[in-house]
Amino acid sequence: MNLGRFILNRLGQIVITLFIITTFLFLLFRMMPGDPTSMILDPKMPPEAKELIRKEFGLDKPLMVQYLYYLKNTLTGNFGKSFYYPETVLEIVKRKLPPTILLFTTAVILSYLIGLPLGKTIAWRRGSRLEMGATVFGLFFYTVFIPWFGLIAIWVFSYRLGWFPIGGMLTPEVWAADVGLFPKIWDVLYHLILPLSVLTLLFFAGSMLLMRNSMLETLREDYILTARAKGLPERVIKNRHAARNAMLPVVTALTLSLAFSLNGGVLTETIFSWPGLGKALVEAVLNHDYPLAQAAFLLLAILVLFANLLADILYAYLDPRIKY
Amino acid sequence: MSLLEVKNLRMCYQTSQGLIKAVDGVSFEVKKGEALGLVGESGCGKSTIALSIMRLLPPNGRLLGGEILFADEDLLTKDEEEMRKMRGRRISLIFQAALNALNPVHRVGDQIIEAIQAHERMGKEEALRRVEELYRLVGLDPGMMGSFPHQYSGGMKQRAIIALALSCNPELLIADEPTTALDVIIQDQIIKEILKLQKEFNLTLIYISHDISLIAETCSSIGIMYAGKLVEYAPTIALFQSPLHPYTQGLLSSYPSIKGPKRRISPIPGEVPNLLHPPSGCRFHPRCPRAKEICGKEEPKYRRIKEDHYIACHCVNNSAL
Amino acid sequence: MGRFKENFNLFRKNRLGMTGLFILLFFLLLVILGPILPRIDEMYRPMTGVDKEILWSTPPSRAHLLGTDFMGRDILSQLAHGARIAFMVGISAALASVLIGTLVGLVAGYFGRLTDTLLMRLTDILLTLPSLPLIIIIAAALGKQSLWIIVGIIGLIGWPSTARVIRAQTLSLKERPFIEAARVSGASNFRIITRHIAPNILPLSFLYMTFGVTGAILAEAGLSFLGLGDPSVVSWGMMLQWCFTTGHTFRAPYWVLPPGLSISLVTFAFYLIGRALDEIINPRLRER
Repeated sequence: MNLGRFILNRLGQIVITLFIITTFLFLLFRMMPGDPTSMILDPKMPPEAKELIRKEFGLDKPLMVQYLYYLKNTLTGNFGKSFYYPETVLEIVKRKLPPTILLFTTAVILSYLIGLPLGKTIAWRRGSRLEMGATVFGLFFYTVFIPWFGLIAIWVFSYRLGWFPIGGMLTPEVWAADVGLFPKIWDVLYHLILPLSVLTLLFFAGSMLLMRNSMLETLREDYILTARAKGLPERVIKNRHAARNAMLPVVTALTLSLAFSLNGGVLTETIFSWPGLGKALVEAVLNHDYPLAQAAFLLLAILVLFANLLADILYAYLDPRIKY
Repeated sequence: MSLLEVKNLRMCYQTSQGLIKAVDGVSFEVKKGEALGLVGESGCGKSTIALSIMRLLPPNGRLLGGEILFADEDLLTKDEEEMRKMRGRRISLIFQAALNALNPVHRVGDQIIEAIQAHERMGKEEALRRVEELYRLVGLDPGMMGSFPHQYSGGMKQRAIIALALSCNPELLIADEPTTALDVIIQDQIIKEILKLQKEFNLTLIYISHDISLIAETCSSIGIMYAGKLVEYAPTIALFQSPLHPYTQGLLSSYPSIKGPKRRISPIPGEVPNLLHPPSGCRFHPRCPRAKEICGKEEPKYRRIKEDHYIACHCVNNSAL
Repeated sequence: MGRFKENFNLFRKNRLGMTGLFILLFFLLLVILGPILPRIDEMYRPMTGVDKEILWSTPPSRAHLLGTDFMGRDILSQLAHGARIAFMVGISAALASVLIGTLVGLVAGYFGRLTDTLLMRLTDILLTLPSLPLIIIIAAALGKQSLWIIVGIIGLIGWPSTARVIRAQTLSLKERPFIEAARVSGASNFRIITRHIAPNILPLSFLYMTFGVTGAILAEAGLSFLGLGDPSVVSWGMMLQWCFTTGHTFRAPYWVLPPGLSISLVTFAFYLIGRALDEIINPRLRER
């Protein structure tokens, strides 16, 4: 039992993965036909500034040396200067990361809090109308086209009913005024509710259906028969024996669903003008702001990798058979 | 006085191919403190009887008729909550494939405590002491209580299961092939353990196995099952001395014996019948060396042939004794 | 053939699967309608057709059953054209990724050792990366957007889940006696893979294709909606993007609803069919 070593081991794997991703990005943007420097150098820059970046990124040197420069710069967080904004890329992504984490993690957690109990219940009541209804409902949102669904939600709840803001994360006036912390938090929450609800609705089906299948498999295990033979009440069998064990494969699959969820996150951020990394990535690509696009992508990848690490730790905690 | 009386039990499983009549008109009784063995090939319905008594049949299991009287109460008419209170408290089951019978994510001790607390109002401390006592009783180190099932060996798991089954001092213990997954030496230890405990607590025991030599060691009387029917029932000694049913005779001669005269081991020819479409008449007749014309037409009655000896066969009549 | 019939009967009993099939049939009808509409009238050309009397977005009318877009183009004919694009994109991208995934899974599972380790590490990395951002960044680096390049990228990204399943299946098949028998009798690796293993895993590949179609259609629609699609192709995602960028989202329900609903329904249908097939192929999931 050595949790520390387990985490260290996983961190090592994450570093290797990041190294591969970075290399991939480098090759992707340098090996393009035509002038690869157009991907790194802002055409609008004055020649002196271009020269500075040329040096910083070793663009006059052979590709292999450029690669080493690139690795060093990435490692130190030097992603270069944005083509579009007057800031460095690092400053921008630093600002964009917290909103993404806020929206994404709350949506994932919330969808699991809803999906797991629901999946448990419909597996327990297999063949019931509830199961059919929840499955169809869940599957529809699982495959619905997110931007469209988001637009409809904005149209109904913000535009027509006026319950929520049309988009964004903050009301500038509130944050400019000296009103104390609480109104500010409330303001963020007010902006968060609609995108969060949309994302949660889209995500919960995944965990619900997974839990259902896992639960159905668990219910066939011998220890469930033992639990029945012991004379335990149904509720205890369902929760302490079936659902507890059915959680394990669901947590394993969390890894995959997180990456899938982030796809939805990118689209949702764009629709709701949520100032996060996903929206930044899309806008950067549309603005041909390649340094920012790369950094945003890298940060999204890091976010998923660390979320996966958390899932692994959670799994190790839930399954006593795991020896880290 | 009999503790358990099964009367004309009929049970089937619904499958996509049709009804499988797993138990078809089985009757027997078990006296208090007695050990009854049920023997038969796999698929003959012996496990289904165990699950019927516990009322733990899978969802596709259907009861077709009969009664199961436990202490003069019909278990088949009880509601689910009444039945739940019986399970583990008054009737315990040790079932097949016990290696997966413990939940891998909970500590073994906790799984036993949970069973005790489901039936008795008892504090954690007291329950813990009870489990400790049970561990000693079945020959386990009480220090293992806090460990998880994967830290137990096969034999230890089976002992823990026995401790679990005994945790509420049940009146009836049903052991369904409790040693199949274990190696021979451990098997022997476990059986000795069960025997010792049965004597010590004057337990009523139903021991289910395909191995008649195991049953002979453990049980005072034996019921032989074939294709969902009980074909012969007798005290162990009587059965071994003068087996009457051709199937029993075949079963006995297909096992080697160390004592007694040398003889050829002769397996029973043919295969276990498919219970979707069981043979007409006596279900054993296609394999029976003594089959007559009537055997294929008419089902033999299950009847008493002498003191405590019951049989269902056309070829054996009272005059032949 | 008997097995096929039996499986089809099982499929027919699956209500959700049949629902999916009917939804698909509806959209296939729409695909057929696509080339017919412009023959009726020039103004029904999805990209270039313009009604001379209508130069802006109008609600449904006799001439335009679903209304017109901001340039007065017919939404129904765009929708029909989009259906064809959706099937084309979905099926070809899914086919590509299933082919790659099957190949990778087969090779990794069959040859094991270092080949397996390397391929599976790659698979795991690709599997944990969010696919849409990955597609976006590759599309950005490639510059010009054409539909087939996008299909290619989606196909190249979508194979890992298939590879994992096929590998597991290959591993278990490899241990079966008939493979051992083939090997002992001197069959080459190539022959064992193509003759003995591949036929047993193709049903699974096919199953993953139906799921892949869902993913591919959603990805292409997502890219088009974000403005990263092929601007010369009328796809459902593109229709939504036009609606969104011209500010019609909250004013023209007749324009916003059809393309989004179509994307959602088609992917829903493929997913339902995939699930139904899954229950047939993996009997563990089937109800007793």
